[in-house]
Order: sequence, then structure tokens, then C-alpha cells
Amino acid sequence: MSGKERLAIFPSRGAQMLMKARLKGAQKGHSLLKKKADALQMRFRQILGKIIETKTLMGEVMKEAAFSLAEAKFTTGSGFNDNILQNVEKAKFKIRTKKDNVAGVTLPVFESYQDGGDTYEFTGLARGGQQFAKLKKNYHKAVVLLVELASLQTSFVTLDEVIKITNRRVNAIEHVIIPRIERTLAYIVSELDELEREEFYRLKKIQDKKRIARKKTEDAKAALQKSGVVLEQPANMLDEQDKDLLF
Amino acid sequence: MLGSFFNIDGGYLEGLCRGFKCGILKQADYLNLVQCETLEDLKLHLQGTDYGNFLANEPSPLAVSVIDDKLREKLVIEFQHMRNHAVEPLSTFLDFITYSYMIDNIILLITGTLHQRPISELIPKCHPLGSFEQMEAIHVAATPAELYNAVLVDTPLAPFFVDCISEQDLDEMNIEIIRNTLYKAYLEAFFAFCKDLGGTTAESMCEILAFEADRRAIIITINSFGTELTKDDRVKLYPKVGKLYPDGLAALARADDYEQVKAVAEYYAEYRALFEGAGNNPGEKTLEDKFFEHEVRLNVNAFLQQFHFGVFYSYLKLKEQECRNVVWIAECVAQKHRTKIDNYIPIF
Repeated sequence: MSGKERLAIFPSRGAQMLMKARLKGAQKGHSLLKKKADALQMRFRQILGKIIETKTLMGEVMKEAAFSLAEAKFTTGSGFNDNILQNVEKAKFKIRTKKDNVAGVTLPVFESYQDGGDTYEFTGLARGGQQFAKLKKNYHKAVVLLVELASLQTSFVTLDEVIKITNRRVNAIEHVIIPRIERTLAYIVSELDELEREEFYRLKKIQDKKRIARKKTEDAKAALQKSGVVLEQPANMLDEQDKDLLF
Repeated sequence: MLGSFFNIDGGYLEGLCRGFKCGILKQADYLNLVQCETLEDLKLHLQGTDYGNFLANEPSPLAVSVIDDKLREKLVIEFQHMRNHAVEPLSTFLDFITYSYMIDNIILLITGTLHQRPISELIPKCHPLGSFEQMEAIHVAATPAELYNAVLVDTPLAPFFVDCISEQDLDEMNIEIIRNTLYKAYLEAFFAFCKDLGGTTAESMCEILAFEADRRAIIITINSFGTELTKDDRVKLYPKVGKLYPDGLAALARADDYEQVKAVAEYYAEYRALFEGAGNNPGEKTLEDKFFEHEVRLNVNAFLQQFHFGVFYSYLKLKEQECRNVVWIAECVAQKHRTKIDNYIPIF
């Protein structure tokens, strides 16, 4: 992992302001994404619970449906199956898709509905009609449950994907982006400090030099005064140079 | 005297039939089967009965549909052997028995053809006892009218179509209604034939067929509550050869719910007994179960008399019931749902 990386940027006050703003932005983004990941995770667990429940129920319903098929066969012989298969024309049990929104993620939801009447209401008219009615009811229940299960499982898979992506992003921000910005910020601060120190040192040095130069001229002046020569130079208006105001 | 005349043509076959009848599974066999844990156990137990090694060449794991097919195959072989050796009038009698399977096959073929399914898919699904020569020809017809004019008139079932179903009916009527109309015509024709034969055959067969007719009338009535079948249409499906004709049928035609049907049955002693114990609560036998039991009893009684054709019909029906029983037990074992495993209909 690139642990020592920081952004390549010219260290200045402006850059420091920029970096501070970016850090704040990254932190806000991180907390928002974390909230989204938590919401998705909660929904995920809910769906998981429902899937387990539906699957166990499915097992029982299918068992009952298969048994009612055996009962119908017992009363009528097994020829009715082929008759029904041959008579199929149009689907009577159809599915509509709807969308459900969870923390910004759209999940598909399947809703089943019946279209058209019962074309097989006369099957088993002379034998086994009751068993057929029970059979139809049981298998209808099984198909409705299957549609629900399909709905839940698609949501499960979609949510899983999205949660992975979101978690990846959260981790990326937490472990890569924010440290990088912080490092950059530290670097800028350290560079600025050093520049200041350098400035300070330069000023101090100049001060020293000026002091020494002044001391030299004063010594020379004192020596001259002692020897009786007074050299007083009046201010020269033509002298353009401004003396240092500070030092 | 009567016996020796019968034995000239039918003696060998009756003896054969009675031999087959002795091979029908007894109560002890059923008790063994009910205790099986897997289908392999079931196969083992069946090996000890008359069925022998009929499942020997099947690859494991066994499926219930395979058992069903093999049981039916054995029955078909036995019946066809008897049919091949029969002469008039036994041959016509046996043909009449196959007409009910033919009706089922034709309905299947008509449904499939009208929905443009390939004939090669449909033929294997037909019942082997009901096959007839024109089966392949059915797919040539594209509309019901062609079907009627070109194909159906050549089949042995033509008279049943002619009497009650016209071309438009084939188009408009629900396929199940057609099936039940055909069956009514078939029952009435069979009944007339048996009555013509006279003697012991007429005695035993007419009783069995009368019960079948009444049973159909009652069940059609009960099953038609809550459907679109009008009372007039219902009347057209009642066979007129049972004990309920004409008063019982008229009363059934007016019935609106189960209680009224029960009230009609009160007038007839055997049917009252059947309605008595029946109910839909778990633990009680359903009405259909009671009808099955009564049918089995009538069929078993047919064997008490000799020198008549009724034994062949009864043998076929009892064997079929046995197939259904074994398949039921196999399904319960395979699905591990043993609560209702004792709901088979005991024969002997």
C-alpha cells in the first residue's frame, strides 16, 4: 500500500484552505455513506429472515401439493395430466414488476395476479372433482409462494451487490482518501512553518549584519571625533536611498 | 347344460381369468407393502407376489411413474392375450370394455390436435387398451368438422358420436362435456348389449353397469355445483340405465346442493348406506371412496357365479383398482407422507 503518499500540491495558505475544505467534504461523505450502508444492511437482514421463513413454508406447501396430486391420481388414474398439458393455451397466472426504493437502491418486486377464469372447471366432472379442486388450490398456493420467494431472492442479490460497493467506498474513504488529505495538510503546514522559520532566520541575519555595520561606522566616527575631525554630513536631498525603517 | 355350451368357446378363457384373479394382491400383501420404507422395499415385496420380477430391468433409482407404467403393461398384456383368443360374442364384449379407454384416447388426441401438438407426442400418452387403427389419422384433420366427417365416422365409437354430438358441438362444447356425453352413450350401448346376451351375464353386468350409471349421475351433480354447468346440460350427461332412472334422475336434475342430493339417495337403500358414512372431514371416508368400495364389492361378487362374461369385466376393474392402490402406497412411501397410507381400497 502506498502509505507515504500525499497529493502533489504547492504548499501555500490557499492550498491549506483548499485541503481543509476537502477534508471536511470527505468526512461528511464518509458519514453519509456509512448511514446508507447501515440502512441497507438492516434491510438485508430483514429480507434474509423472510427468505428463510418463506423457504421452510415452501417446503411444506410443495409437499402438500405433491401429495394432493397423488390423491387425485388415486381417484382418477394418471391420464388427466396429459389432457391438461395438451389443453394449455394462454397463461392465466401472470406477474407484474414493481419497484421498491431502499436508501436510494431500487429493488424489483414481483406481484402475481390472475388473468381469466378457470378453464379447467369441468375436469374430473365424473370422477374426482373434489380432489381436483383441492389440487388446484394447493398448487396455486405453491406458485404464489414461489413468486414471493423469487421477489425476495432478487432483492437479496441486488442488495448484496450494492452493500459490497458501498462498503468498499466507505473503506476507501476511511483508509485512503482521508489519510492522504491529512498527510497533505500536515506537509503543507510543515512547509509553511519551515518557510516562516527561514524568513525569521533571514531577518535575524540581516539585523545582525546591520548592527555590525552600524557599530563599525559608529566606531569610526568616534575615532574621528577623538582625533578632532568632525565630519558632519547634512542630509542630502539628492540621496534617493531610503534607510531601512525597521532596522 | 348351460355350462357345457359356454365352455366350448369360453371355458379356457374363463379358467385363465380366474387364475389371474387369484393373483390379485391380498390383504396380507397390502399390509406388507404399507410397511415399506423405500421404493426398493416395495419392489422386493412385489417380487413375492404374482407380479414377479416385472421391475427387474429398471434402472435405479425407481420412480413411481415407472412402477405405474409397468403395472399397467402387465395388465394390458394379460387382457390382450384374452382378447386375442376370444370368439363371438365374447370378443364383442371385450371390445366394449375397451371403448371406454378409446373415449379417453380420442379426447386426448382431439385436444392435442386442436392445439397443434405433433401426433408423435400424443400417441405414446394414449392408453394401450384403447388404441384403434385410425389413431394416426386424427392429426390429418385440422378442424373439428374435418375430424368428425373424415376420421371419427370410421372408428368403433362412431355410433356414440352420431347420436348425441354434432359438428358444431365438437367446436363449441367444452372437451370434458364431450367426454361425458360420449361416456353416457357408451354406457347405454353396453347395457343394451349385455341385456341382449341374457342369462347370468346380463344379471351380473347389468347390476354393475347400473351402479356405474347412478354413480356418475350423483358425482356429476355434486361436482357441478358452483360451475357454469346449467341444470339442462347436466341432465344430458346422466346415463339412463341405472336404478335412479327416471324419478331419481329428475330429482337430481333439480338439486342445488349436497343435502338435496343426499335426500334423493335416501330413497334407494344401497345409496343411502353409502351417503351415511361419508364426509369431508379428515378421518372420514369421502363419498368417492365409498363408491369405490361398493364397486369393488360388486366386482368381487361377479366371481361367485360361473359361465358368464362378467368375470372378465370384473377382473379388469379389480386389477385397475389394485394398480391404483399400489401406486398410492408407492407415492406415500416415496413422499414420506404416511398419515393416509391406509386409504387404499381393500379388495379381498
